[in-house]
Amino acid sequence: MRVREESRSGLEIVLVDIWEGTEPRPEVERFCEMWGIKGPILLDPNAELATTLGVRGVPTNVVVDSDGTVRAFGAARLEELEQAIDELYGR
Amino acid sequence: MAATGKREDPAFPVGAACRIDSRSPWRQIAEIPVGLDPEGIAVDVERRRAFVACSRSDFVSVVDLETHEVIREIATGNEPIDIGLDEQTGRVFTADAHADQVTIIDSATLEVETVLPVGGYPSGLTHVPEFRRLYVGNSLGSTMSVIDLDTLETVATVDAEPGAGAIGVDPTRRLVVCVNFVAASANFYDADSFEELGRLELGIGTCAIGIVPERGEAFIVNSIAGTVSRVDLDRIEIKEEIRTGSAPVGLAMHPSHDRVYVTNRGAGSVSVLGVADGVEWSQIPVGGGPGGVVVDRHDGRILVANAGSQTMSIVEDLLATRPPAPVVEERSPWIGNRLPAFSLEDYWSGERRTNHDWAEKKYILNFFASW
Repeated sequence: MRVREESRSGLEIVLVDIWEGTEPRPEVERFCEMWGIKGPILLDPNAELATTLGVRGVPTNVVVDSDGTVRAFGAARLEELEQAIDELYGR
Repeated sequence: MAATGKREDPAFPVGAACRIDSRSPWRQIAEIPVGLDPEGIAVDVERRRAFVACSRSDFVSVVDLETHEVIREIATGNEPIDIGLDEQTGRVFTADAHADQVTIIDSATLEVETVLPVGGYPSGLTHVPEFRRLYVGNSLGSTMSVIDLDTLETVATVDAEPGAGAIGVDPTRRLVVCVNFVAASANFYDADSFEELGRLELGIGTCAIGIVPERGEAFIVNSIAGTVSRVDLDRIEIKEEIRTGSAPVGLAMHPSHDRVYVTNRGAGSVSVLGVADGVEWSQIPVGGGPGGVVVDRHDGRILVANAGSQTMSIVEDLLATRPPAPVVEERSPWIGNRLPAFSLEDYWSGERRTNHDWAEKKYILNFFASW
């Protein structure tokens, strides 16, 4: 999904790691190796941004427009995320 | 998350007979801190204790269900992820995923009795008192271990498929169903001969199962697809797909079998699904990233292991029947508003990155956890 969308529309998908409960780096490293992830990853160890946004579960996708406006929130199902992306690009 | 502190409202005593229909048909009793990444829960009804498998702490938190306090932490093997309690022997079993073993705890002394080797990465277990059997799904081994609950001998190791984990048993049909997360499938076995009777392709990320023998049905959770499959156990075919909240992962049957509780890891909630109508009756908010769920037979309360918030929620479902209004998922108040400024460490470079780094770009923040 991430690779496809970046090549199709230039949409960047930024992973934000939360709720590890321990030092997140080893966990994220293992996760990236397992799933072959190479894109941007931010660490939110105390879930401060997640709490501010009211994130209650994982995965949660927050779709942000070029003016910084949140266009969709949640969108965990593939079809929901695809719809949110289509709406973001006016497709 | 609206947790309600440790003690319940005295206006609604434990086991209150009154059930109501309202727009908020649930009540939150407590949210109790436990170890890291709690995933599975078992209840000792007689002693009023919950055993919570805390997979990243490598221990089981024992919670007093009267005081809502953790009274003991019992070390297990690496990554205890699922748990069950056999009332006849008083044994608690944990599936220790990274240790390829089952730890057995005496629920009276709260001491480890022994450990049993099983297949690779055991991630689900189910015990069946009628059969005196414990079934363990070994995800990496693609097998199902069958253990005698009394002698603790492994009586069979049955071929399953990649991601074997959750197991459901229909004692009346003498049918064992092994759900395979990676293969997105379920295998159906004769409980006596372990002959495979059938196989079913399911949704992506199948990870939990509940059985309703009197209806001849199984309910199987498809986490990535975001649905629960209603399966005909006689025909071994899918009858219906029921939509739940986001990223469902855990399932428990209500003792009356009129509803199913499904934890939604992506939504921080429990979906209440009607068994007869296949409709989502309500969503009960719990802690962050919920997974394992059980119903306490003492009072009917729902116990939920919240992997994200590292807590165990106790909630009450107050619905008497299907409510007149459908579930409406709450819309985030951030939609249509500007994302708040943020400054977070970049995993790769170690430098701080802010929202300004993505100024004038369209992007998605994907909140995730490695577990």
